[in-house]
Amino acid sequence: MLFVIASIYIRWGKLVTIVVMHIHHLGLLIFLLLANWSGAADKVDFNREVRPILAAKCFACHGPDEKSREAKLRLDTHDGATRDLGGYAAIVPGDADDSELVLRIFSDDRTDRMPPAKSKKTLTEKEKQTLKQWIAEGASYDRHWAFVPPKGPAVPIAGNDQWPRHPIDHFVLARLRRANLKPSPEADRYTLVRRLYLDLIGLPPTPEEADAFVNDKDPKAYEKLVDQLLASKHYGERWARLWLDLGRYSDTNGYEKDRARSIWPYRDWVIRALNADMPFDQFTIEQIAGDMLPNATFDQRVATGFHRNTMLNEEGGIDPLEYRYYAMADRVATTGTVWLGLTTGCAQCHSHKYDPISHTDYYSLMALLNNADEPDMRVWDDATLKKRGEVEKRIAELEGDLPNQFPPAKGKAAKPIQRKRHLEKKFDAWLAKERPTAIAWDTLTPDHMETNLPKLELLDDSSIFSSGDVTKRDVFRLKFTLDPAKPLAALSLEVLPDERLPAGGPGRCYYEGRRGDFFLSEFIATIDGKPVKFADASHTFGKISIGSGKAHAKNVFDGKGSTGWSASGREGQRNQLVLNLADKVSGRELEIEMIFERHFVASLGRFRISATSMPGAKAQVMPIDVQTSLAGKDANAAIRDRLLKHFLSVAPELKTARTKIEQARKQIPKPSNTLVMLERPRDNPRKTHRHHRGEYLSAKEEVSPGVPDIFRPPSKKTPGNRLEFARWLVSDGNPLVGRVTVNRAWRAFFGHGLMRTSGDFGTQSDPPTHPQLLDWLAVEFVEQGWSLKKLHRMIVMSATYRQRSTLTADLLKDDPSNRLLARGPRFRVDAEMVRDMMLKASGLLSAKMYGAGVYPPQPASVTGLAYGNTKWNVSKGEDRYRRSIYTFSKRTAPFAAFTVFNGPTGESCVARRDRSNSPLQSLTLLNDEMYVELARALAREAERRTSNVEHRTSKDVATLIFRRLMTRSPSSDELVLMMNYQKTQFERLQKGELKASDILVLDVRRSKLDVRSLNESASWIMVARALMNLDEAITKQ
Amino acid sequence: MNIEQLRLLTRRHFFGDCRIGLGKIALASMLAGGSSSRAKTTSGGVNPIAPKPTDFAPRAKRVIYLFMAGAPSQLELFDYKPKLAELEGKPIPPSVVKGQRYAFIQPDAAVLGPRYKFQKHGQSGAELSEMLPHLSKVADDIAIVKSVRTDLFNHSPAQLFVNTGFSIPGRPSMGSWLSYGIGSEANDLPAFVVLKSGGSLSGGAAMWDSGFLPSTHQGVPFRESGDPILHLSNPRGFDRRAQRDSLDLIRQMNEKRLGVVGDPEIETRINAYEMAYRMQTRAPELMDFSKESKSTLDMYGVSNGKKKNAFASNCLLARRLAERGVRFIQVYHSGWDAHSNVAGNVKNQCGTTDKPCAALIQDLKQRGMLDDTLIVWGGEFGRTPMVEASAALGRSQGRDHHPQAFSMWFAGGGIKPGITIGRTDELGFHVVERPVHVHDVQATILHCLGMDHEHLAFRFRGLDFRLTGVEEHHPVKELLA
Repeated sequence: MLFVIASIYIRWGKLVTIVVMHIHHLGLLIFLLLANWSGAADKVDFNREVRPILAAKCFACHGPDEKSREAKLRLDTHDGATRDLGGYAAIVPGDADDSELVLRIFSDDRTDRMPPAKSKKTLTEKEKQTLKQWIAEGASYDRHWAFVPPKGPAVPIAGNDQWPRHPIDHFVLARLRRANLKPSPEADRYTLVRRLYLDLIGLPPTPEEADAFVNDKDPKAYEKLVDQLLASKHYGERWARLWLDLGRYSDTNGYEKDRARSIWPYRDWVIRALNADMPFDQFTIEQIAGDMLPNATFDQRVATGFHRNTMLNEEGGIDPLEYRYYAMADRVATTGTVWLGLTTGCAQCHSHKYDPISHTDYYSLMALLNNADEPDMRVWDDATLKKRGEVEKRIAELEGDLPNQFPPAKGKAAKPIQRKRHLEKKFDAWLAKERPTAIAWDTLTPDHMETNLPKLELLDDSSIFSSGDVTKRDVFRLKFTLDPAKPLAALSLEVLPDERLPAGGPGRCYYEGRRGDFFLSEFIATIDGKPVKFADASHTFGKISIGSGKAHAKNVFDGKGSTGWSASGREGQRNQLVLNLADKVSGRELEIEMIFERHFVASLGRFRISATSMPGAKAQVMPIDVQTSLAGKDANAAIRDRLLKHFLSVAPELKTARTKIEQARKQIPKPSNTLVMLERPRDNPRKTHRHHRGEYLSAKEEVSPGVPDIFRPPSKKTPGNRLEFARWLVSDGNPLVGRVTVNRAWRAFFGHGLMRTSGDFGTQSDPPTHPQLLDWLAVEFVEQGWSLKKLHRMIVMSATYRQRSTLTADLLKDDPSNRLLARGPRFRVDAEMVRDMMLKASGLLSAKMYGAGVYPPQPASVTGLAYGNTKWNVSKGEDRYRRSIYTFSKRTAPFAAFTVFNGPTGESCVARRDRSNSPLQSLTLLNDEMYVELARALAREAERRTSNVEHRTSKDVATLIFRRLMTRSPSSDELVLMMNYQKTQFERLQKGELKASDILVLDVRRSKLDVRSLNESASWIMVARALMNLDEAITKQ
Repeated sequence: MNIEQLRLLTRRHFFGDCRIGLGKIALASMLAGGSSSRAKTTSGGVNPIAPKPTDFAPRAKRVIYLFMAGAPSQLELFDYKPKLAELEGKPIPPSVVKGQRYAFIQPDAAVLGPRYKFQKHGQSGAELSEMLPHLSKVADDIAIVKSVRTDLFNHSPAQLFVNTGFSIPGRPSMGSWLSYGIGSEANDLPAFVVLKSGGSLSGGAAMWDSGFLPSTHQGVPFRESGDPILHLSNPRGFDRRAQRDSLDLIRQMNEKRLGVVGDPEIETRINAYEMAYRMQTRAPELMDFSKESKSTLDMYGVSNGKKKNAFASNCLLARRLAERGVRFIQVYHSGWDAHSNVAGNVKNQCGTTDKPCAALIQDLKQRGMLDDTLIVWGGEFGRTPMVEASAALGRSQGRDHHPQAFSMWFAGGGIKPGITIGRTDELGFHVVERPVHVHDVQATILHCLGMDHEHLAFRFRGLDFRLTGVEEHHPVKELLA
């Protein structure tokens, strides 16, 4: 709904508000609402009346943005407006006639008049008078109400009226009285039970559940039901959906390719946290900075997925850091909307024109969130972990047993002895064969490492690990000291797996190409400054992902950036590249430059450099230490043991025995994955800069982390990192968090917040409908320990909530959109709830919770429209009927039955969904095979459940279908309509005009039922389908 | 009962029996494209085809936007640069390239000469590639702009930028802005329809999203398989009468409820169901080309023997949608991303698209509809004068993404025909005359529809948003008739 409110100030101190109201598709309805603002009798109110004028007409040139400020004059602060401009001032408090502002706005001279003609802005006569009067009255600059911390206002006890049940009701009643309105009577018990079920758990009650409440004579029946529903595990599923809208949760990466990602453990974390009623302050801190908490638990790290829900552009050729910057901008914007109720986005490009957020403030906010890496985290559930332990134990056992599997030689001695002898013989033969060609490698340790951006770190095994940011063209430069006595014949580069890398490494590719892939374009070496010439090269494995190029080892010294070596498909494994020098070279210093360049990030994550003086080196699958041990002449017991172990892993005699090990390896269960934040190490912080005009390429001066000045009392220290910021968001320092949070809850119950411009509490916003109630709830929410369940309980326990939602002619005239709350809420439920309600009514709803996203049925053409003609493989079994929150959410092709009912795409933070009412929704509920299937189940369920009713009539079936959807019983009129329809359709079926087999979707020849029964069943399906299409079936009332 | 009678019947109970009168307004608004503060209702409130008032007299009533996704090579189609042939194989001077980022190539890549010949056509003497023989015949009907530029150099953001004015998903698309701003003349069809052919679309569904505008203004994609509009067909076993009977039951039950609870939203829902039914009855006729003459089908090249041309079908369907009053018809054709073998790509894509594009102009012209239908042709950016070649990717003789300069053409309502404006340097690298930013293109389209792009704004989270962003942009007045 869209409201345009124009205020007309009338001399006798009353405010006449013309509300031009527009309900979806309802055209224009204009009516007058007479409202008497208490306490604002004659004096102009700065926040309500003056600031909006200044903000809309003056701040663009005389506001917080220093870049666009004209004449060095700012009118958004008292100091700025009253500053001496050389013998005069824009505003002289208390003296309108001496104020330049008044002279200029009333000026007849075009060149003098403000706002100037070129701004295309004009002040109305009334606005001019308001400004003049405000100055005459002393020009007080009250802080914008939302920036002043709420103080629990006194509850306006409304005499001895019996209606209020809760403090909420006193606020509502006081407001209604001022408008000469009365609250509506309490709704009937069937309406209440359905309303509570839908609001608290997002599912309708079954007729039995409803009857149990309606027939409960306990005066506390309502309260009992509320507590029962708050304790339901479905509560978290219902309320998580709203949080995931804010968190822009999705199961895909977004943008062009929109590939799948795995972050559902975060979604499950939200459900669990809400079910456990985790206090909202803790809920906030864990999501923003759970990884930084002391001894952070696994769950606290999963929670940081909140800001990993940003999109990832996997399009080939992008600049990955540019899209990381956009993701950061999204994080700032989302944090602003969710915890501050402020639109920060415009300060990305310039200082905010209206709200006191400067361009630098914006980047300081970004800096608070910007110092984290974004790794994957493996998620092991207990069962999988146990299985892994078992399999690994088995593998160790099998490996230990390999010597006992060695075939015994023929001979007279006991088998074990023959076996041992045979093994030793073969082992010695193998050693003799391998030794002459084995290469002794010296692993080199760099003295110096530098790169274009990533951070290189030397590990204990002399391998090098890369972390930090990566680009499409990374260059590593390493310097080593050589022993001049050992001339260099070949260099070895081992690429090594690491758990911390995408897909276990060795590369750092995380989009577009294979995860964990790398691409070495060039390997350049110099010794004592002279270029090294390579003659030959070999690798253990070479393959390029994306593209038809060949990964020849020699590509790395052909001088061509677009050719190179890659071991795509061998993620999580070691591979080796050996480069042979044309001639042996000795020297003191070796410098190596490696270039990793593709149209996506293909940097290397972990590697090791070794050198040899021996000729003829070739890349080997054999680990480098084994190679070196083999080349050594002496072999102590430990070395011999290491060599034996290797021999056992390659000996042809054990091929069969090893297949068991290989099979067991395949059985090692894979963990699930989730995306988390990880604060960067102290020695590699990420710098944040101000970006001119918000452009990625226009980075200017570095900014330090901090919250905007407006939230920073001079005495207090600003938060300096993500964790401090998270704590600040839910502290006294943030005057908005309570208001924003309770307002969101209010909107979920009533369809509108107490602040109707949701997501914006800034100076440009409309005032709340019930400012004191908003503040009272905000204070109460914090005082009651940030408990969302207690907040929800307060709201549903109120008489305000329990009102009947019927619109009388008077209410339709006076307050059609229920701003003043003279009736209960009535509106169409959210997209996911439409489906969940039908699932429960049909009896098919699965109770299974958590886990990876599922795929309920929808036409193939929905995802067919997405990039790459993505397939939607419909889930089988109960996954087809899971609660909608578990539906796989694809950003570029969201589940169509949700989209049509205004479900979100997950592309950005949604604080308030649109609620439309369209023909495409009708087509979905009428014809979508998913819903028709549920209609079949609903009819079957109704027939089954009434089958043991004595003298069952069609009335019983019709009533049950109706009640499973609407909860209440149908009226006699309604029953007649349903029965007539059923009768007509049944007759048409009997006549053969309609085919029961088509409607039932079954092979009637194989059915045991007679034709009449089949036709009857088909007619009930038709009834069920029609009733699922009633407005009431998808409406909370 | 035949369809005509049925329609009369539905119209009667639609416009008759309205308990509180809001339904009439609701219907008008719904058919006009949904909720908007600009919605206009005439006396009595019933005029479902009344468009909303424009800022000034519109020159075009509707738009057919032929979006060439993937970015066609302007250097092989509209912007002839003989100098490139001369310099082929040599790198572009660094002073020209400066610090430009590229998607795939290095800035020092060598120049690639035009792959095709160009010739002047029509009285206007428009210089067009030999790959556009059909468009060449209607050269005097189009206006070519050779100096368009954009801010983005990757497909997804650049496509979003052209379609929504912003590079990240979430803003309203051009069609949504128009549906919101001036409503629709369509009676039984959405205000904003999306057609697609060719390969995948990088920008995805965000390109026809309504963003923060009411979702009624979202583009409705016609599907390539199954029902053109999702769930248009009745479920198995339900004939037309069963559907009508069901709708009657739904309506009667809803009316009962309306009588009890008095919520006008129920009235809106009743009307939505009737509209849905009418879409069901009318859409098959829309999709049925059997009444089109053979000469029309041939002119578009809808099929060549057994081979169907999906883009040609979409062009013809676009005309049929235009005839039925759809405000914004977005036709996407994907497949122009010529990173390798640009010559082959242009040849193939022109083989598919040249004839239907020209046919659309001719067909609209002969039906007298070109005067008030704006046709726009263009991609998301241009292609580099430099060659793209990559051993890893197996590419050669291609061109990379080039945001600095590309070409578009316009025809029909509000456009001055037979002109070419704008010029690039001799390498086709930078614009040197009459730069036209993507936001200027958007401002021009709105202008042709009678809308001031600075005026068409929407307040969201405390800010006024518009299609053309916050910086100053203007309609390209040289283009306007």
